[in-house]
Amino acid sequence: MKKIITMVLLTLSLSAEVTKGDNAVAFKLQTLDATTSYSMDDFKGEVVLVNLWASWCGGCKKEMPEFFTLQQEYKSGFKIVTVSIDKSSSSSQEFLESVEKELGYKRPFIALYDPSKSMPKAYGAKGMPSSYLIDKQGVVRDVIVGSLSHDDIAKLKIKIDKLK
Amino acid sequence: MQYIFLVSLVLLTGCSDALVRVMPYEKEYFAQDKMSLSPLAERAEQESHIFLIREASAGGDSSFQGGCGCR
Repeated sequence: MKKIITMVLLTLSLSAEVTKGDNAVAFKLQTLDATTSYSMDDFKGEVVLVNLWASWCGGCKKEMPEFFTLQQEYKSGFKIVTVSIDKSSSSSQEFLESVEKELGYKRPFIALYDPSKSMPKAYGAKGMPSSYLIDKQGVVRDVIVGSLSHDDIAKLKIKIDKLK
Repeated sequence: MQYIFLVSLVLLTGCSDALVRVMPYEKEYFAQDKMSLSPLAERAEQESHIFLIREASAGGDSSFQGGCGCR
């Protein structure tokens, strides 16, 4: 019995990933233009959607316009924080600027840059993109792997409203 | 002895996983067009057409078809 417990514990320790009910990963990252830095503490008391993305990831690019419109709908109490893991921040900037041009307005959310990929490593991201819905207390309430469609966003909005 | 064997086995499995597995957030180079088996869509279509003629097996290039074992 002891052996089985040891084996299970070791296996679990080797595949650590953040799931529902876990605390959100603490971070301190700079924005894409390296002018401001943000930490998880800056969002205390707010519902946060942390989105891990990259400009080389097709699904990430597909869902990005949805985040523009989603953040536009929530003026307070909810923040989208995108974290790019691109090799260079300029590729992320270029892509976001192309979306801004297409939609006709500046990005309404916070875009951070994580060159060391510390966030996906800490979250144990199982896919790209990955999004984490975090409540006011800093607890992960939902983990979404893969890109969010328009319908998924509608479902997400219900969850956000409940947490607000 | 058995205990040491079991622990070593689990740890070694963990090591091999870490060495072989490319995590989703590390697939930047795999996502490049040049890493695709058929980087040119038009060419891939043409190659597929030639393959089907050569093999006389229309529909056999999909995993959803067949099951006859005729290829």
